[in-house]
Formats: sequence, C-alpha cells, structure tokens
Amino acid sequence: MSVEVEISPIFGRYTNNVLNMKVEGKTVRECLHDLVRQFPDLKKMLLDKDGNLMHSYDFYINGENVYPKDMSKPLKSGDKLNVVFIIHGG
Amino acid sequence: MLTEKELQRYDRQIMIYGFGKEGQEKLKKAKVFLAGAGGLGSPVAIYLAAAGIGTLRIADHDTVELSNLNRQVLHWEENIGKRKVDSAAAKLGKFNSGVKIETIADTITEANVLKLVGDSDLIVDAMDNLPTRYLLNRTAIAKGIPFFHGAVYGFEGRAMTVLPGKTACLNCLYHGAIVPKEKFPVIGVTPAVIGCIQATEVIKYLVGLGELLTDRLLNYDALRMKFTEFKINRDPNCDCCGKTSRQVKKR
Repeated sequence: MSVEVEISPIFGRYTNNVLNMKVEGKTVRECLHDLVRQFPDLKKMLLDKDGNLMHSYDFYINGENVYPKDMSKPLKSGDKLNVVFIIHGG
Repeated sequence: MLTEKELQRYDRQIMIYGFGKEGQEKLKKAKVFLAGAGGLGSPVAIYLAAAGIGTLRIADHDTVELSNLNRQVLHWEENIGKRKVDSAAAKLGKFNSGVKIETIADTITEANVLKLVGDSDLIVDAMDNLPTRYLLNRTAIAKGIPFFHGAVYGFEGRAMTVLPGKTACLNCLYHGAIVPKEKFPVIGVTPAVIGCIQATEVIKYLVGLGELLTDRLLNYDALRMKFTEFKINRDPNCDCCGKTSRQVKKR
C-alpha cells in the first residue's frame, strides 16, 4: 500500500529538498501522518494540534481537487497525493 | 474601426491565424479592471497595453517603495513615494498613447467594489491578499464577467481563469481558506511569468481564441522549471457560485 506524495518546494527546507516521496496509508490522514513520521520537521508546518492539515495548505488526489476536503478520503496503492501551500502573493 | 496607425502597430498580431482585424477591434473595445499595480499587475498592464486593450482601469492604494523594485517593473527609482497608479499611468501612457488608462487609488472594499469595477468587461486579480481576491471573485460572479486569477510566492506561481456560472471559481479552489497577509518572498521573474499568463488569458478570452485555463489550476515551479496542472471541479455547494445561474456575458 504505497502512495506517491509530491510537496510544494516551500517544504523543501524541512525535507532536505526531497519533494517526491512514497508513504504508506489508506487515507489522506494516514498518508500525511506517515509523511511527517518520515520528515518530522514537517509536522509543525503541516498539521494542527488535532493532526489535521492546516488551513494554509491544500491537497489534490491524482491531480484533481476533492469535495469535501476530507482527511478521511481513501487512497489506494499507486495514487498520487499533492500537498500544496495556498499562495496569495502578488 | 482601426486606424492606419493601429493597423501598422498591431500588424504582427493581426497576422496570427484567427486573430485578424476583428480580434484587434475586440481588444480596442474592451475595458479591463486590473486589481493591483504591483508584481503581477505590472506585466499584466504592460502586455495588455502592448496588445492594444481599449481601456485599462487600474486600482491600487499603495505608494511605490524601494523594496517593490525587484519585481514591480512599472515603477522606477524616480517613483518612490508616489502613488502606484500614477506611476503606472505615466509609463503606460508613454508606451501606448492609444490605451485609455483610468486610475483608482482607493482600497477595494465590499462597499465600493461594484462601483470600482463599474462596466468593465472582466477582472484581473493581481492582488496580494486572499480576502480581496475572494471579494473580486464574488464580484465577478455577481456581474457575470470573467475573473483571471494569479498568485506568486518565491519561485512558485499559480493561475486560473474563471467563467462565472460555467467553471470553478476561486472559492471552489480554496474554499474560503484564509492565509494571514504577511511579507512574502518573491523574485521578479515569477510574477513576470504568471502575469504574462494572466494577460495571455485575457487576450484569448477577448479575441475568442484557443482554450482558456478554466477548471484547471496551473502551478509553476520555477526552481524545477516545471508546469503542473490540477483539475479543479466546481464545488456544487460553493458559497459563491454553487447556486448561481448567471452565465458569463457572451462576447
């Protein structure tokens, strides 16, 4: 059960510039928690105290947005999860 | 009707298949509301003026600071301390005297946005904060006019085009998420790329060429020199566009 994750370059400083990685998990939540297990410095950036993705970030599954934005969304082996920072600068 | 001088000035783009004099006339008749005359607003304004947009209505409440000059290419050292809209109007007027420049030095608010946008044909989002972006998105939906979104951070940028009532809107994309406004890192080449993408979309929409960047978020990662697209589906429960039946104005 392996999911491919790609994270925004902004996170590179917390992952030694590794932006593509494999994680284990059956839901978005499990995959994100495995991600921060592998890269502990990411945890305070990505997840709030309840273990949810912070509001400043968003995720896409297989290149597509999902409604509602639910951390319990199931993922299967071979899926791709993109985690991005919501940018707003002009 | 295009003048001889305009036919000469825009000759190379009139030559583009599907563009023609008719396309140029559409640009000449158009009024664009540009929200922001900063990093994104500068390339948007320059390339829309270069293309021969009829009227550019530019809103920005800021004055030029030294720290703006790494990216806001409409403003120069001599403009520090001056209003950005005046600095922009002066350059654009010299660049293309055929473009009518209207300036608004006010802050865009819930109370004044409808009046500020006025009878513009579309809105270009070149703002630096999410609340005003959402407000402009809602205004575009209320008026039934297109909305051209762009945003930057560091070496990263994003763009998406919204046709109200037809395609996903900014609220479908970010579902109202708020990121605190703060000083953000950026290098000038990033808004240059994203602003040019926004201007390209505006020109395509007005002329009626190609496929727009609708229901797709274009992500630009300059460090890896990589463009990625995410498919953005309309949220049926979107607070902004979920229940609207307004259709985008036909051109």
